[in-house]
Amino acid sequence: MRLGRDSLAGLIFFAVSLILLVQSFGLPQLPLVPVGPGFYPRIVLIFMAVTSAALVVQDLLARRAEPADVPAPAQPQRAYGLVALSFVIVALYLVLLPLLGYRIATVLFVAALQATLERPTTWQQWAILAAIAIATSAVTYLVFERYLTVLLPRGSWTDW
Amino acid sequence: MFELLGHGLLTVLQWNYLVPLFAGTLIGVVGGALPGVTITMTIIVILPFTYGLDPLQGLAAMTGVYVGGSAGGLVTACLLGIPGTPSAIATTFDGFPMARGGAPGRAIWLGVWSSFFGGLIGGLFLILVTGPLAAIALQFGPWEYFSLFVLAMAMVAGLAESSFIKGLLSTAIGLLITVIGTDPIGSVPRFTFGSEFISGGFPFLPVLIGIFAFAQIMSDIEKPAVPKTPEAVLATQPSLGVSLGVSHFKVIGEILGRPFLLLWSTVVGILIGVLPAIGGSAANMLAYDQAKKFSRHPERFGTGVPEGIIASESSNNANVGGSLVTIMAFGIPGDAVTAVMLGAMTIHGIQSGPLFVSQQPALAYGIYAAYILAHLLMVLILAAGALFMLQITRVRLAVLAPVVLVLCVIGAYALNNTMQSVYVLLIFGVFGYALVKGGFPLAPLILGLILGDQIEINLIRAIMTDDNPLLFFTRPISGALLFCAALSVALAVWQHMRHRARTAREEAPDF
Repeated sequence: MRLGRDSLAGLIFFAVSLILLVQSFGLPQLPLVPVGPGFYPRIVLIFMAVTSAALVVQDLLARRAEPADVPAPAQPQRAYGLVALSFVIVALYLVLLPLLGYRIATVLFVAALQATLERPTTWQQWAILAAIAIATSAVTYLVFERYLTVLLPRGSWTDW
Repeated sequence: MFELLGHGLLTVLQWNYLVPLFAGTLIGVVGGALPGVTITMTIIVILPFTYGLDPLQGLAAMTGVYVGGSAGGLVTACLLGIPGTPSAIATTFDGFPMARGGAPGRAIWLGVWSSFFGGLIGGLFLILVTGPLAAIALQFGPWEYFSLFVLAMAMVAGLAESSFIKGLLSTAIGLLITVIGTDPIGSVPRFTFGSEFISGGFPFLPVLIGIFAFAQIMSDIEKPAVPKTPEAVLATQPSLGVSLGVSHFKVIGEILGRPFLLLWSTVVGILIGVLPAIGGSAANMLAYDQAKKFSRHPERFGTGVPEGIIASESSNNANVGGSLVTIMAFGIPGDAVTAVMLGAMTIHGIQSGPLFVSQQPALAYGIYAAYILAHLLMVLILAAGALFMLQITRVRLAVLAPVVLVLCVIGAYALNNTMQSVYVLLIFGVFGYALVKGGFPLAPLILGLILGDQIEINLIRAIMTDDNPLLFFTRPISGALLFCAALSVALAVWQHMRHRARTAREEAPDF
């Protein structure tokens, strides 16, 4: 029998809880505290292991009760590739932030994500995209750094 | 009490408090009106702006967002048939048919004034009940606190729509996140695997922002675009005029002429708000359902009756008052919005809980005052720009998503000016999105995350005071709370089983 999504999630969480449960027994005991630093995590991890196992069992029982030849209901098309690409762009932004500094990295990030989500086709659209990217960076920088005195990341490459 | 409230009102009426309150209410109304942008998302966006403000300015802005957001959803609910926030879902049932039937102004203003009156009654409850409840909470020992937190988590896990087991597992994940890092009693590192990165544990706000904001934005990105601009809707609804002119006396008379409906819906909203982590989305649906059950003409609900709008909108704003009671009296967030407020209070070094009102009266009454004034501002903002809100709904995701993500990054970075919090944001963003895709409810996880440390501290404190574990059951309040927790779990299991049996019966072939 192929594992369902819930069974897979349950097995992952079950494995995590078992690994950490074993680790919790290696935590040192404190002389003044009667129960030690591993006491509470063990309760949480046992709770997690039990619920994970219950999820696996529930999923397996549900799949067994389901007739095998019933086709899965049609799902609307989802743009998972776009989501993955968006996460990659966010990750790149976080890499560039300490290198280029907030102002430059934010312009690049906003422009890149906008272009990814809705690709401009005319030069006017590209101009609007660039204006939004620059404005977002400039306005947030001015509001946070100048008005609210909230420091934003400086770039080690640009000193900006 | 009234002297303190008067002082709070005078304080918040000063421009340096009124400006953040107005800005917060305006942003809340706009965020509430934007379909797909929840109040939680709006308050996350505004969070970094509060870092540079004094505590009352920041909390006034957040209170404004909460109040404005709870009302803002009604604009698109009534005029477009799309609820701006989940707390306005029930408003669409009668608001949209009423607007489509040629009375858009009546639909909008029934909603606005119902939000106003419901919110003010909720505010009265907030002011009158928070102090006495906090006094009761002061009598609590670690046993009672532990049991109260267990009850809160049991209730939230039980409310998970997808699966009760997933709700419980989600709670466990939230609790597990809090045990990573140093333990709160002896500062022993736990589950850090020798990594400096997680040696101090995961900071609460970046985790919360990551899980909520990323999960929501990425879920929006993955959806196929369905353009539904105001023009498109107005074009298909020729009877829907653009004038929202209406006799306010008549509309207010319509609402106050149904005192039982207004009061009962408000009570429903307050009670749902007081219960941890349930929120306005449940309040408006339940109040609508109650209004329908008590009505002499339930068959007319859904066709554009004023009762449906009054019930939904008065309950979702009253819900805000109830949520604030829980956070101010017990230090337990009523929902994700108050969880962010709790985080903001912690940043400013303010300890929320039973001592909050007595130790910080100026701040507490300032919040009450901000709450009341936010309702007035909300009415003014909607009077000035309800139709403008429709134009704002045209903002495209391609523009909105990068700007919101930039503000999320600032919110995480500015916590302690390190990139570590920003990396935590991304990690939990991916994790939150994966959980949503796996059908795991986020509310129990967030509650586990918020209460995890407090549960551990109170459990260890109770054991250090007296190592008899039976005290959790034999102390009257603690025992009663645990009994309620067990009852809540049993009820949730029963409801899920009944739902499953009913679904199976409905799906069975009809021979």
